[in-house]
Amino acid sequence: MIGQGFYKTLASPWLWGALLLTAALPLMLNSYYLHILTIALVYVALASAWNIVGGMAGQISLAHSLFIGTGAMLSTALLVKLGINMWAGLVISAAIAGLLGAIIAWIDFRFQLGHLSFVLITLAFAEMAAIVVEGWEFLGGASGLLLPRDTGDVWAFQFGGVRGAFWVMLGLAATIALINVAILNSPLGYYLRTIRDNEKAAQAIGVDVLRHKMIAMTISAVLTSIVGTCYVRYLTFADPYLLASPLITIEIVLFATVGGLGRAFGPALGALLLVPLGEVLRGQLGGAVPGLHYFIYGVVVIVVILVTPRGLLPLFEKLVRRRRPAAS
Amino acid sequence: MSCATIRERGKPIWVCEETEVNELWQALAQGVLIGSTYGLLALGMGLVYGVSGIVNFAHGDFISLAMFISLALFSAFALDPYVSVLITIPVMAALGALVYRFLLRPMAGHQFLMIVQLTLGLSLLLQNGIMMVFGGQPARTPSIVESKLIILGDVVLRMPHVIAFVVAFAMAIGLYVMLRSTDFGRSIRAVHQNARAAALMGVDVGRVQVVTFAIGLGILAVAAALLLPGTPIQPTQGLQYTVITLLVVVLGGMTNFVSIMISGLVIGIAEAFGTVYVSDTLGRLVPYAIFVLIMLFRPQGLTWRTS
Repeated sequence: MIGQGFYKTLASPWLWGALLLTAALPLMLNSYYLHILTIALVYVALASAWNIVGGMAGQISLAHSLFIGTGAMLSTALLVKLGINMWAGLVISAAIAGLLGAIIAWIDFRFQLGHLSFVLITLAFAEMAAIVVEGWEFLGGASGLLLPRDTGDVWAFQFGGVRGAFWVMLGLAATIALINVAILNSPLGYYLRTIRDNEKAAQAIGVDVLRHKMIAMTISAVLTSIVGTCYVRYLTFADPYLLASPLITIEIVLFATVGGLGRAFGPALGALLLVPLGEVLRGQLGGAVPGLHYFIYGVVVIVVILVTPRGLLPLFEKLVRRRRPAAS
Repeated sequence: MSCATIRERGKPIWVCEETEVNELWQALAQGVLIGSTYGLLALGMGLVYGVSGIVNFAHGDFISLAMFISLALFSAFALDPYVSVLITIPVMAALGALVYRFLLRPMAGHQFLMIVQLTLGLSLLLQNGIMMVFGGQPARTPSIVESKLIILGDVVLRMPHVIAFVVAFAMAIGLYVMLRSTDFGRSIRAVHQNARAAALMGVDVGRVQVVTFAIGLGILAVAAALLLPGTPIQPTQGLQYTVITLLVVVLGGMTNFVSIMISGLVIGIAEAFGTVYVSDTLGRLVPYAIFVLIMLFRPQGLTWRTS
């Protein structure tokens, strides 16, 4: 089922070395830098999950704020309003997000407007989700929900502050990136890429376009929702204007694009470069110049698209190869 | 003497009149008036899509930009939005030509979907550029006609809405005539139908695309002026305008002029009914619900032929 490439990546000493080194960071860094890295890992995880639909299948989904919102707001509401354990909340939200993802993919399929329709439809759903969260008191309304204090009780889905959150996020981000590698090396990955490159041709040679779009969207939605739940636990405040706003999806899309769409580690690269930059700018200048870090994201993405439309990862690879021609 | 609340994009405005206000007719009239402007917004987007296949996700942020330029002109020279539009139209059109020439056209040869990300990046840039200059607080640009009301039987109409309706339809008709019976309009339609054939017939396709994009943003400047009086503006509103415009364009079958204007009215009416009959917040869902329902049963939208 899964091709050689996946096992090769899995057996790579570089991968495990990098992971171990990163996992040791909480022992060295102070909590400010650790916080920035944790946020960066959240976006690595989100951008990699988005990549399954947006990068591999070429379906630019702007509905992912809906899935983040489901994972974050719903699991919080279940815990705060109904007292349901957040582990159960995570599973319930992920299941609902997956279902929503499949439904959105199905609705889109009926519209028959080609590649663009997916962007339009998913943006409409994201906007609807923002309105529902804002208007429905159960999900916190416009004022959001506050989670109980993090005491480090793992059974209650509490991981003990920034260190625990860092390790959880590292695990999640690495898992999702490896899922990316696995899908790229499996038949599903090949189907998704044929759909991206030429949907009509894919259909003509017998690829079940609707089915694979729905599968990709479901996997991506479930993973995104899980990240949403973990993220809100770290923030301890379920803020609808952060977690259910279409803006967060736009950020994800731009990170993935800057890094390299459709590549297993491209979106991760984009998020790792841009999120720390944005967080530092916001920390240093956010009070004086509001919106500066988003402004810079906008500039970076436009420059990257104009200079190297396939993202920075292919560019880096090209540079490395040019320096070591013997290696290839 | 009775009082009624007219709700407009969630913000209630109190109107006290001698006459009894009929909610149904009131909502309908308001929806038609606002919807005509949505139709105009969507015409700009549909025109650009028709000749260059580009859907501009920074559309709403360009509307924002035009509104904030009007605000700046009001603060500096006390210009009424209906006067300053004479300045914003050429400014926005020139900006449009530059954006198309230097950002969008270089993408033509590459994977086409990258334009989505590029315009999303442009949207972040514009929105936060505006925020850096004007701050994040909601602002208003007053106009002399802002508080004037027109009373037609049971229905109270606000003067800016009536002006918006008249101008939007006049512009739609003007555009239609331009497309039908001028040489430039014919070249736009030629590029829309078959860009390669148009190029072989001697049409300068690149020029048509640049000029169309400029016209699209010029139309936006007009729509911005029409929406401005009495509406609070803030830098983060852009995406909402983009989404409303997209709903209308998709519902109108992307390029068909008449169906786009009709769709504008449908979305406008749905929005007015939602805010009057459902609630301030959840009422904003009604246009989306109507949109999804129509598209589920009529995937080609409110158009009668496929283009």
